[in-house]
Amino acid sequence: MILLVDMDAFFASVEQAHHPHLRGKAVIVCGDPSRRGVVTAASYEARPFGVRAGMPLAEAKRLCPNAEYVEGNPRKYVEKSLELLEMFLEITPDVEPFSVDEAFLDLKRLPGRGQTLESASEIARELQRRIGDTHGLGASIGVGTNKLIAKMASGVHKPRGITALDEEKFRGVFWPQDVQALWGVGPKMSEHLKALGIATVGDLAHAPRPVMEQRFGVVGEHLIEAAWGRDRSAVIPYHEGVDPKSMGHEVTLPEDCRDPEFLEGTLLRLSDQVARRLRTDGFRGRTVTLKLRDYRFRTITRQRAIGVAIDDHGGIFEVSRGLWRENWRGEPLRLLGVSVSALEHTSEAQQELFSERERAKALQDALDKVRDKLGEASVVPAGSLAHRRGVGNIPFGAVRGPKPAERDSRREEGAGYADGADPSAPDPTQLKPRLPRDG
Amino acid sequence: MFESHNDPVDVLTAFVDGSMRPIRFRWQGRVVRVRRVTGQWARREGQAVLRYFAVQGSRDDSYELCYDARGPSWVLSRAWTGPS
Repeated sequence: MILLVDMDAFFASVEQAHHPHLRGKAVIVCGDPSRRGVVTAASYEARPFGVRAGMPLAEAKRLCPNAEYVEGNPRKYVEKSLELLEMFLEITPDVEPFSVDEAFLDLKRLPGRGQTLESASEIARELQRRIGDTHGLGASIGVGTNKLIAKMASGVHKPRGITALDEEKFRGVFWPQDVQALWGVGPKMSEHLKALGIATVGDLAHAPRPVMEQRFGVVGEHLIEAAWGRDRSAVIPYHEGVDPKSMGHEVTLPEDCRDPEFLEGTLLRLSDQVARRLRTDGFRGRTVTLKLRDYRFRTITRQRAIGVAIDDHGGIFEVSRGLWRENWRGEPLRLLGVSVSALEHTSEAQQELFSERERAKALQDALDKVRDKLGEASVVPAGSLAHRRGVGNIPFGAVRGPKPAERDSRREEGAGYADGADPSAPDPTQLKPRLPRDG
Repeated sequence: MFESHNDPVDVLTAFVDGSMRPIRFRWQGRVVRVRRVTGQWARREGQAVLRYFAVQGSRDDSYELCYDARGPSWVLSRAWTGPS
């Protein structure tokens, strides 16, 4: 049997656990509450007001003006996630962190326990109680015969629910539901399926395989199997690790912007953050993707494959700026993002052939060493200063004990996070596991 | 609501069983007795490790303190000052 532990409203719950006066109140975790941004997480008390993760902060404040708006701190949540991982590993060594607030536990190697739905549910109840007692947090746990069922079962009863399903029970619960309830079916796939007359998970299970394969290729076959509750993917223990598919950063601007200098500075800073993460984790990439969202919330992504794998901010910036110049029509922008995919390990990447590149790499290595020693803001591309000034993030500013008038501008890397935490900053105190990071 | 402060503070600290915890601190002219440490985490700043503590005062007041071993020094990074 497999468990999927899904922490309930994780970021907001961690804040409630750290600050007991927030318990029982509507808590909304976001960037700097005094700036523009989006909701990162909402406590269950805030959800009846319609507040959801990803919603613009201004809309959340309109829906729920009396909530506590708390500036989030990714480092705090990652640390709690690692503490939870330690707890899961006391049950089984086969734990796969699926995100910062979800993990699969494979119970098949437990001697004499966890091999039936009842026995696995007993383990889930004990684990749920320990999470509450030790960390003051709630978790919903799905118990299933495979990862797909465990994942979908975890969402049936929330918060603090436990749902155990085998394939037959899975079909009873999910076949009547909208096809988008199936794990892996997003809004666009749902549209395509509904255009074919497939409205429910049950419809999908009985869809003609030739039609599905012709329309969606191998994904079509996979979707039908999933609709039957079948999944043969294995739990990959955290110590074996899974290479990331891409690395990226995006930023919501303080206000809609059409200033080319500021926007290019923003792209440069994002490119620098992505490059730093690539090098820290030992990757290079062959595809650069640019994401733009305008003031009307229209989003476009454009990508370009390049001949050689790169991990330097100059190379990433050059490609992302080229994409930006080709696709930006001068409309005010709300959000920019840069990511790199088609990753390969640095050791596998093509060796440097030219002395010019070798010199550039030596310079990059030296700059990395300075940042490793003194922090992310110790060396930054000069071209990103316009962006940094715009968001009140100025390197070489006060580090400790600023005057009151300076406090608002004391933002280190990753403006919008408490105590200057930079989600992109490598942290050698967090070595294993490599938790998935959002873009 | 929470307010960012980053005020240097004097903290009476206990070291027990290999771990440290703040006992009380002086901030804005008064002494706050730490009733409970409700959370801990760390952040790197270059080679330095900054250790953060979420603490509860005796009147359900709530703070976040940061210990920087380079000083060594303590900073009160955030305080909850009442409902928004």
